[in-house]
Amino acid sequence: MLADAIRSESYRLLKNRTAVFWSVFFVPVVGLAISIFSFFMLKSKADQLAGKLPPELALGGPLDLGASLAGNAGDLANPAILAFLLIGAATLYAGDYRWETWRLISARNTRPNLLLGKVGVLKFLALAAMLVFLLIGSVSDVAKGLIFDRPMTFSFGAEQAAQFGLLFVLSFVRVVQFLMISLLAATLTRSLLAALFIPLVVGVGQFFLGQFAPMLGLEPGDWLAQLLMPGLAFDTLKTLIKGGIAAAGMPDGVMIKAIVSLAVWSFAPLAAAIAWFGRQDLSKE
Amino acid sequence: MTAVIETTGLTKTYGAVRALDGLSLSIPRGGVYGVLGPNGAGKSTLFRILLGLIRPTQGEVRVLGQHAGDPAVMRRIGSMIETPRFPPYMTARQVLAWLALAHGMRKDAAIDAWLDRVGLTEAANRRVRGFSVGMLQRLGVAAALMTKPDLVILDEPTSGMDPPGIQEMRALIRSLADDDGVTIILASHQLLEVQRVCDRVAIFNRGTLAAEGKVSDLTAAGERLRLSATPLAKIMGVLGEKGSLDGDAVLAAIPRAEGPALLRALIEQGVDIDEARWVGADLESVFMAETGPARTDAQVREALHAG
Repeated sequence: MLADAIRSESYRLLKNRTAVFWSVFFVPVVGLAISIFSFFMLKSKADQLAGKLPPELALGGPLDLGASLAGNAGDLANPAILAFLLIGAATLYAGDYRWETWRLISARNTRPNLLLGKVGVLKFLALAAMLVFLLIGSVSDVAKGLIFDRPMTFSFGAEQAAQFGLLFVLSFVRVVQFLMISLLAATLTRSLLAALFIPLVVGVGQFFLGQFAPMLGLEPGDWLAQLLMPGLAFDTLKTLIKGGIAAAGMPDGVMIKAIVSLAVWSFAPLAAAIAWFGRQDLSKE
Repeated sequence: MTAVIETTGLTKTYGAVRALDGLSLSIPRGGVYGVLGPNGAGKSTLFRILLGLIRPTQGEVRVLGQHAGDPAVMRRIGSMIETPRFPPYMTARQVLAWLALAHGMRKDAAIDAWLDRVGLTEAANRRVRGFSVGMLQRLGVAAALMTKPDLVILDEPTSGMDPPGIQEMRALIRSLADDDGVTIILASHQLLEVQRVCDRVAIFNRGTLAAEGKVSDLTAAGERLRLSATPLAKIMGVLGEKGSLDGDAVLAAIPRAEGPALLRALIEQGVDIDEARWVGADLESVFMAETGPARTDAQVREALHAG
């Protein structure tokens, strides 16, 4: 049963404290430390930096922690979180090849269940990493208010809540895409390093493709551009969720193209990995 | 007698190498069944097919009446193929808990009892990265047995174990077969151990079945009349190809019924017989007779590559 696969993978992952620390806690904790250090540095150099401070500090007035929280939800699929989450993904996906344990567990459940169990657990891990990042982001905002001696408010009405929810889901889908590429890489290559680096290489490749897209004649509203560049699809949907002038300038019908692109990049690697894994010789690991 | 394993014309090729070559074999339910053969004879390949890890190139295979690799059947099989490996950061107890969960059992399901049964109680909370090969084997056996399977497949279960450990493992395997009614199939190069623990054996050679049967029948078929007598040359002259030298004696490969006639003939020829007694063949001599001369280095490398 899939539930058994998820329970056993969860149990195993929780025993691997190193992977959990690097995947979930490292980036937020280091990020918080750097933020607080930089706040103190900015405050001590406030006179010299006059006019160069971030807008929310330069403009005065209260800091809106609610607005900040909603904004942070759109930044959860950032490269730092992705890179370290991929450590957990690589460990989980390629660990059974590395430790030669597939033959131990493949007799205890179906192959699709075993892979889907890993995917399920990793989605929980991604959610945990994103929530910890959000929590630490809020702590950082409070620290900012305290260090700069600024009043703080928390406006989080229905509109912000909806925006927060949509941005959080969108970021989650973007993170899952990279996790699926990692799964496919691990299954095809049986290599932990490949599971870690191939998604990063794909991400960098998409970034450069985006840079050269205009020269290649790819317009953001084109099907091909959206399908080739899930990062563009992610940015498109993020802009639409945030609304405003930028959203109003989006080409017609781009939303559905972006959604299809994200769906394809989420499910195609998973389907390919399951199909390949189903016929894989697991006696040689 | 129902069969737990039935193969018909089972063939597995790796490129040009035929690891299994039309193997037809029936393994009966109950008892301990040994699978023997030199490296590369096809034992591990057969086990991997039975466990659904690889697919045969040709032929039929049924395990517990179902197709090999069928998820419902796999859950009724416990296995340990070669030296088992485990996530190094887990303790022995955690490994069994993890596998119990994967099998749909509670994570505390009789784990302590199994650790005790394989002699790992004191190492239960140690991380497996520090385990010796013998300890990994013990943990692998516990992992194979903890789900109370109907069929257990063990590949070299005593590899790396010390003599007391081997003795304990032998007793455990026999008690599982005799007391719990589990069918156990094991492969081992330790032929004396196989002879002691197995009821039946199959001897593989180059992917085919060279011999199969009860251990007692196979060894009885290799029975010889050992003659301590002089002159040896005269005895060898009488026996011809049926005689072979064994130190300062001669082994006569003849049926028991022909023994008295042979002795009379030798005495008539003036042979002075000090001692004549029947000696049973051990499994090693049966094995060597069935598998033939050792392979060349190149053949062994090729066979090992084939698994």
